[in-house]
Amino acid sequence: MAYSKEIDGILKAKRISVGDGARITTSGVVYEGLLMPRIEVGDDNVLILKLQSGYNIGLEYSSSMQIEKMEANAFSEKPTPRYSLKKSSLPKISLIATGGTIASKIDYRLGGVKSLLEPQEICQAMPELVNVISFKSLLSPFKIFSENMSPVEWQKIAALAAKELNSDIKGLVITHGTDTLHFTSAALSFMLKNLCKPVALVGAQRSPDRGSFDGAMNMACAAHYLLSDAAEVAIVMHATSSDDYCYAIRGTKVRKMHTSRRDAFRPVNDLPLAKIYSNGRTEFLKKNYRKRSAGKVVADTAFEKKVALLKAYPGSEPGLVDFLIDKKYKGIVVEATALGQIPTFTFDKKNSWLPQIKRAVEEGIIVAFATQCLYGRTNPFVYETAREMYRLGVIYCEDMLPEVAYVKLGWVLGHTRKKEEVRKLMLTSLAGEINPMLTEEEFLI
Amino acid sequence: MKAKIGIEVHQRLATERKLFCNCSSTVSNEVPCLTVKRRMRAVAGELGGVDPAAAFEMSRGREFTYQLFKNSSCLVECDEEPPHELNKEALETTLEVALLLNAKRVNELHVMRKTVVDGSAASGFQRTMLVGTDGSIKTSRGPVGILSVCLEEESAGIVEAFEAGTVYRLDRLGIPLIEIATSSNIVDGAHAREVAEKIGMLLRSTGKVQRGIGTIRQDLNISIEGGARTEIKGAQELELLPKLVDNEIRRQSALIEIKNELKKRNPGKFVFAPVDLSHAFSKTHCGILKKILERGGAIMGFRLPAFSGLLGRELMPNHRFGTELSGYAKVVGVSGLIHSDEGLEAYGFSEAELAEVTKLLSCSSGDAFILCGGERKRVAAALKAVFERALQAFEGVVKETRRAEGELSVYLRPLPGSQRMYPETDVTPIKIERKEVEEIRKKLPLSCDERKKKYFEWGLGQVLAEKMLKSPDFTLFEEIVEKTRAEGKTVAGILLESMVALRREGFAVDSIEKQHLIELFSLYKKNRIGKAAIEEALKDVSRGKSVQETIKEKNLELFDDPKLKKLVSELRSQGISDPKQVFSEMMRRYRMNVDPKRLQLLVGVK
Repeated sequence: MAYSKEIDGILKAKRISVGDGARITTSGVVYEGLLMPRIEVGDDNVLILKLQSGYNIGLEYSSSMQIEKMEANAFSEKPTPRYSLKKSSLPKISLIATGGTIASKIDYRLGGVKSLLEPQEICQAMPELVNVISFKSLLSPFKIFSENMSPVEWQKIAALAAKELNSDIKGLVITHGTDTLHFTSAALSFMLKNLCKPVALVGAQRSPDRGSFDGAMNMACAAHYLLSDAAEVAIVMHATSSDDYCYAIRGTKVRKMHTSRRDAFRPVNDLPLAKIYSNGRTEFLKKNYRKRSAGKVVADTAFEKKVALLKAYPGSEPGLVDFLIDKKYKGIVVEATALGQIPTFTFDKKNSWLPQIKRAVEEGIIVAFATQCLYGRTNPFVYETAREMYRLGVIYCEDMLPEVAYVKLGWVLGHTRKKEEVRKLMLTSLAGEINPMLTEEEFLI
Repeated sequence: MKAKIGIEVHQRLATERKLFCNCSSTVSNEVPCLTVKRRMRAVAGELGGVDPAAAFEMSRGREFTYQLFKNSSCLVECDEEPPHELNKEALETTLEVALLLNAKRVNELHVMRKTVVDGSAASGFQRTMLVGTDGSIKTSRGPVGILSVCLEEESAGIVEAFEAGTVYRLDRLGIPLIEIATSSNIVDGAHAREVAEKIGMLLRSTGKVQRGIGTIRQDLNISIEGGARTEIKGAQELELLPKLVDNEIRRQSALIEIKNELKKRNPGKFVFAPVDLSHAFSKTHCGILKKILERGGAIMGFRLPAFSGLLGRELMPNHRFGTELSGYAKVVGVSGLIHSDEGLEAYGFSEAELAEVTKLLSCSSGDAFILCGGERKRVAAALKAVFERALQAFEGVVKETRRAEGELSVYLRPLPGSQRMYPETDVTPIKIERKEVEEIRKKLPLSCDERKKKYFEWGLGQVLAEKMLKSPDFTLFEEIVEKTRAEGKTVAGILLESMVALRREGFAVDSIEKQHLIELFSLYKKNRIGKAAIEEALKDVSRGKSVQETIKEKNLELFDDPKLKKLVSELRSQGISDPKQVFSEMMRRYRMNVDPKRLQLLVGVK
C-alpha cells in the first residue's frame, strides 16, 4: 500500500521520497523526522514520520499542512552482514533455507512487508554455530512462508537434500516456516530413501528482529543433532517455554500443537528422539532410532497430488466426498472421530457419509481414516459404524497423524495404484510413522 | 552553572486490564505459579544499526528468569503470544492527560517496540506509542514545555539481580503506563520537584491512576554547558530531586575540570596493557585479595599515565572519580576496584607489595594505577571497561543512563539511541478521531485548584480539603456527595478518618463497596440514620452484611421526634431535669439512634 494519490502528488512535487528528512507543519505544530513508508494497513491519507526520538507518528494530511524537505535519504540501511564459507576443521553440514519466520526480516523501506533472508544472513544471526560446525553449502531453492508450500516444493527440497547428503557432510539442516513444518518433515521422511545421515528441520516462533528470537537456539541444537549418530528426519525446536533445551522429534510423529508458543512442536504417539541442550549435551530418549551408516540417499519424490484431507464432524456434508470423486481424486484421507467413525447411521439419511464412501471405493479411490483425536490408535472393530466402513475397504491408519496419513497416501499413490499394494504400504511403518506399541508415557508430552 | 534539566514522569494507570492483554493490571500478592528462563540477543533496529545499550547488555551474556502469576500474567507477557488489541480505557486516559497538559495529539498512533535487553521485557522490547506532543504546564517559575505524552507497557519487576542474571516478575509487565517528558527548561532542582509534583497532581486529578509505592516514578535528564546528557532513572522520592539535580551538576562540572586538567598534563598515548599481579600479592595480608587468590582468582591491574590525584577527585559527596570507574567494573560483574588515590594502607598492603606493583605496571610519579581481583575472565573484562571509561575522561562528561541511589546516582549503562525503536508489526496503527477527543474534552476533570474550591463550597476546611485532594478516594468522595447530597464534611470524615480507623481495628474495609456507602449516606441525608450509625453499620457491611440487614439487626434507625420527646419526658419524670444532664444521659443510652443536633433543640442546650 502506498500513500493516497493526493499525498503522493505533493511528495513528488516537492521531490520528497521515503527516507528523506521532512518538516511537517500542521495545526501550528512543527514535526521533524524521516518520512516513513505507508504500511499496508491504516489510512493512506496519513503521513508517517519517524521523529528524532525514534517514535513513528501518523499525521493526517490536510490542505493547510506544510511539508518541506530537509535532508536527502537518511536511511543508513546497512546491508545485513553475511556469513561467508570459510575453511575450517569443524564438522561440515549444509543448510537449505526455504523461508519462514526464522528467515524473516522487516523491510521498513518497502513498508513493513516482511522479506526473507538469504541463508548467509541467517547464519550470521547465529554466532553460536561458529564454534560447533562449519557450512559446506548454503542453499536456497526458494523463499516462501510455509503456508504457501505444496508437494512440488517438498519434491524440490528432497532432491536438493539427497544431493547434499551424498556429499561430504555430517548432516543437513533445513530452515522452514513452522505452520506446515510437520507436513514437510513427513514428506522428507518418505521421500529420502535409504537415509544414512541426520536431517534437521528448524523454524522459529519469534522473528530474528527481536531480542527474544528463539531460532538461534533451535539452530544450535539442530547442529548438535547433526553431529549425533541418528539418521532420521527430525524437527528440532524448543522443548519448553524456556531457552534451555530442544527436542528432536521424528519427522512423522510430530505436530505443531500451538499457534504461537516456542515449544509448539510436540511428539504425538511417540517419545522425542532426543533432548538436546544448546551447549551440545544430547540425551537420546528413544532407543530404536535409525543409525548413521554408509550408503547413498535416494530422492524418491513421486507424489500423487490428487489426494485430499477431509474432516468429518457433526453436521458435515457428505457431498464433499462427491465433489472429490467428481474431481477425479485418487485418494481421500478422512479425519474421522476417535477410533475411526464418521456420520453413518444418521437420523436424516442425507447426513450419512455411507453412500459417498461406498461410491468412492467403488470408483477405485483409496479411502483412509486417521483420527482427529491425534493421540491414540484407530480401530475399526469396536463400533458398528466403523465396521461398516472397514467392510467397504477403508484403510484404518493405525496411530498415524492425519497430516502424515495424507502425505503418505500421496507418496504411496505416486508409486502404485494397486489397491492391495497401497493398503499394504499404508499399514507398514516406512519411516516410523506407525507406532506398534503405544505406551503410557507417550501421551501429552 | 547553566544546566538543561528535564524530567520524565512515569505513572501506572488504574485500568482493570493490561495494555495489550486481558491480564489483571494489579501486582499479585501470591507466590509465582511458574517460571521460565530466557536469554536475550542484540538485534539491529529499523535503520540498520545495533543500539549501543542493547549490544552492551548482550555482551554480558546473562540469563533471565521470569516468574508467572495467576490472573496477572499470560502468554502475552511470556512472549509466547502476540499482543491483543490496545486497551481503549488506557488510551482514553492518556488522551485525557494529553489534553490536561495542552498537548497536541497525533492523528494516528503507531505502536513501537523499544528494545530492552536488560531482560525487563521477555520479548526483548517494551511496547510504547507517542500520543501527544508540544504541551505545557504552568509553574511558579514560568511555563515548562511538555515534549511528549506516551502510553507504554510497564516493565517487569526485578525480584533479584546477580552476576549471571536477573529474576523478574511478569505481573507488572504490561500494566499501562503514561510517560510524560518535559522540555529541558526546568530551572533547578527545586523547580524539578515542583514540576514533578504538578504533573503528579494533574495525573491524580483524573482519578484513573494507580496509587502507592512504585506506581509513579521520575527520571531526570541533565546536561550542563560543555557536559553531556545524562539520564538518571528511578527517582521515587520527590524530596530528593533537588539534591539529585545539584549532585549531578556537580558531577558534570567536576568531570569537565578533570578533562581540562588532563589536557594540561598531556599524558600522550594510552595503551591498554593489563598485567597479572597475582604473584606480587601471593603473601599479602590484605584480606580481600587473599580471599580472591585462595579461591583461584586473579589480581590484575593497569597503569593510567598522568592520572595521579584525579581518581581521588570528588565528583559528588563521597563519590570520587575512582568510584565512578568502579561503577563500570561492577556492571561487568566484579565487586569493585582499588586505585592508587585511595588510602592504600587501609587495605593492609605492605610497602614491598606496592613497590612491586608500581614496578610491574611501570608507574612513575604522576601516574595512577587500577587494581581489580576476581574470576580471571571477569577481571579482564572489568579492567577493559574501566580503561575505556578512563580514556573518555578526555572528553569530559559521557552520555550515560544512571540509576538514582538516594541523593546520588550510579552508572547503569550507555544512553540508548533512537536505534532502539522499531515498529510493532503485530498491532495495526490506531487512528484517533477528532470526535473521540472532543468527547473526552467535555468530561475533563477539574484541576486541583478548582477541586479545592468545590470542596470548600461543600463545607470542607483547608486541612480536610487538602487531605481529600491527596486521597485516592477523592473520586469516590465526589460521587457520594453529588449523588446523595449529604454534607461534604461528614462524608470526608467517614472516608478519611473512620474508614482508616476501622481498617486499623482489623475490619475488611476493602470489601465495602461504593454502593454500600451511597446507600448509607442517602439514609443519613434523609435523617433515617445518624453519623455514629454509619460507622457502626460499616463494621457489619465489611463482614458481608447488607446495609438494610445491618440497620435492622443493630437497631440503628434514628428515633422520630415523638419518640424522642417521649424518652426525654420519661427521663424528666425520673428526676433528671437539668437539660445538660438530660442530653448526656440520652446520648449515653441512645447514641446510635439520636441526632445530637435535634436533641439539643429539643432539650434546649447549646
